[in-house]
Amino acid sequence: MMPTDIITIGSSGARASRASIEITAQNIANASNPDYARRRLNTGELVGSAIIDFQVSSAFSGVRIGGVQRADSELFQLRVRDSGSDVARADGELLGLTNAETALEQSRVYDRLVAFEASLTLLESDPTDPALRTGTIETAKQLAQTFRFADDSMESTRSSLATEIEARAFDVNAAAQELAQVNRELVSAREGSGGRAALLDARDAALRDLSQEIGIAVQFDEFGTATVEVDGAPPLTLVDGAVASTFAATVNPDSTVTLSVDGSVGAANTGAMAGRISALSQIAALADELDAIATSTITRANAAQASGSALDGSAGQPLFSGTQAGDMTVVLNDGAGLAVAIAGAPAGSRDTANLGNFIAAIGADDGPIAATDRALLSLSSRISGLDITRQGLSIINDSAMADLLAETGVDLDAEAADLIRLQQAFEANSRVIQVATSLFDTILGLR
Amino acid sequence: MSSISNSTSAFFERTLGQMGGLRQSVEKLQAEIATGERISRGSDDPIGASRLRALSRIEARGRIEAENAQRLGQDLSAASKEIESVSAILQRVRELAIAAGNDPLGETGREAIALEVEQLGEELFTRSNARSLTGLPLFSGTLSDAAYARDGAGNVTYQGNGQSGAVPVGPATEVERGLPGPQVFEFEMGGVPSSAFAVVSGLAAALRGGVADPAAAARDAVGGIDIAIDTVNRSQTVIGTRLAWVESIQIDQSDREIDIARQRSDIGDTDIADAIVRLQQAMTALEATQAGFARVSSLTLFDAI
Repeated sequence: MMPTDIITIGSSGARASRASIEITAQNIANASNPDYARRRLNTGELVGSAIIDFQVSSAFSGVRIGGVQRADSELFQLRVRDSGSDVARADGELLGLTNAETALEQSRVYDRLVAFEASLTLLESDPTDPALRTGTIETAKQLAQTFRFADDSMESTRSSLATEIEARAFDVNAAAQELAQVNRELVSAREGSGGRAALLDARDAALRDLSQEIGIAVQFDEFGTATVEVDGAPPLTLVDGAVASTFAATVNPDSTVTLSVDGSVGAANTGAMAGRISALSQIAALADELDAIATSTITRANAAQASGSALDGSAGQPLFSGTQAGDMTVVLNDGAGLAVAIAGAPAGSRDTANLGNFIAAIGADDGPIAATDRALLSLSSRISGLDITRQGLSIINDSAMADLLAETGVDLDAEAADLIRLQQAFEANSRVIQVATSLFDTILGLR
Repeated sequence: MSSISNSTSAFFERTLGQMGGLRQSVEKLQAEIATGERISRGSDDPIGASRLRALSRIEARGRIEAENAQRLGQDLSAASKEIESVSAILQRVRELAIAAGNDPLGETGREAIALEVEQLGEELFTRSNARSLTGLPLFSGTLSDAAYARDGAGNVTYQGNGQSGAVPVGPATEVERGLPGPQVFEFEMGGVPSSAFAVVSGLAAALRGGVADPAAAARDAVGGIDIAIDTVNRSQTVIGTRLAWVESIQIDQSDREIDIARQRSDIGDTDIADAIVRLQQAMTALEATQAGFARVSSLTLFDAI
């Protein structure tokens, strides 16, 4: 045993401590990086052994620096991805529907319908009063404008959502291409190298990004490369090894969305994309409902006009033109044309039987006012229910995230403790070298 | 390292999430207090929002109905006043008829009475065509032309119709607007249709010597005048009853308005005391979380290195 051996042992220990301090410093530096999984340096004992003359002889040679080990948990990653997809779906749907709710509530269709009903009721008190008749026509004009405005708002909500759906397909493709790139590099990365750990970080981050947009099913091979399928029926392979397929979302004229990967049509069960698609179809249904309400208002008003007689005794002419919310306009400009009296009444009649029937038709349980209330109620109930679902899902997602971070995150206190320990180890190793040197000096000093 | 650690970023994330949640509830409470409204959008409380919509509709209807009731009250009081005057006219005609029935009254006396009766007949005709505040005839049914017209021979005929039209003044409550002329001025006398106008003008004609014995004719006319007065009084009762009805409806309306306002407030208004206490609670929790976070996050081993 030579004192030089001791120096070798000491220096290998000092090297290992220094390398570990490097890793610890790296952990501390990345403590707030959400994609980073903490690393640890593997070390092993180094013993040189030889058989000389059937005698086993071994020589201690200190410590060997192994590879960089990255904390990982596939199970928690999976849970975070899946629950993240669910939350993103609920978020996407909620956002779209909330915009629709704002559009429908802010346009105040309900209030204008009630105001129209009220002005008709007021007309009943003095049916020949020109001021009341003009007032009713003006209220009808505001009503028609409100319907057009509501239709516009719904359409702009719908089209902005449709644009977002098509635009977000690019995000999916970007994440898929990044993943394919990572997969390609992972195959050639050396096990235990810092580069491989960084690639795995990038892989998990890309998978998380992808799962936010669209629900995915992932399989890993022995190199750690990920094969990604879109979670839906039929499952479409989005990334296979170094090959990323092209994902596309096309919004059809009927507001349905066709999802395809390299031209094969599929579907998405979860992820923000699925939420937006669901919201889009609900907004389209809501726009149809608004049209139906407008149509019912128009037909009821015009039918009432047709069954009555105007102030001059002539037959009532249509009040509104158009067939839906977007093209509803008032065509009767003279208040005297309102057919308040029943058909056949003489000029100047103060009969209000026809007006009474019209008011009843507007306020009926199957009439436009009740239908508007029902549409608003079902939409806001849906949103409120969805919000509760989202809260539940985000609690699951938060706990999965916390579990994952506990498994892979950086604990600064632990790193600080490591730092002290490694510093002491480094100092101890340098003492070993110092001791070996003084031993050597002692031997050299023998006379 | 396979052991489970207490990740620093997890701690920060968790604290951030908790503080975010508290901030959100503080902001929501603050908005509730500032606007005074508990429901800022339908999805905050779908059922409550729907009930608020229904209440706002009832409120809007109620306002119109109150206006209608007021107009109706005006029309009815105008009609009531006119009928009162008609009744007074007929009373005077009756007095004159009795006076004219005295045989000793000479021809000049009857002439003078005839003159007054004619004037009263004129006034009666004018009253029958009286108009409301808004300029519409009171006694022509649902038509807007003058109720009665007189031809060259002095015969008065009704030009309106028999409907009176109804005004909605409450949920499923409609009150008729007025009385068509025939119900006030026309009646049957001995099975023959007659009218106040016919009775009065008949009396005047008789006094002017249209008949052989004017005094007897005047005495006979009293019976007809009595029926006319009865008819007018009956219609006065009808109008009076309707007026009373409208008044009680108006009281109902204001009660209902208060009731609706209370319901609205119950459903949609912020309970200020409750909101302030909850705001204080949330703010205390937020402050405590912030202070705790500052203390805990300053506890780091790096201080000891």
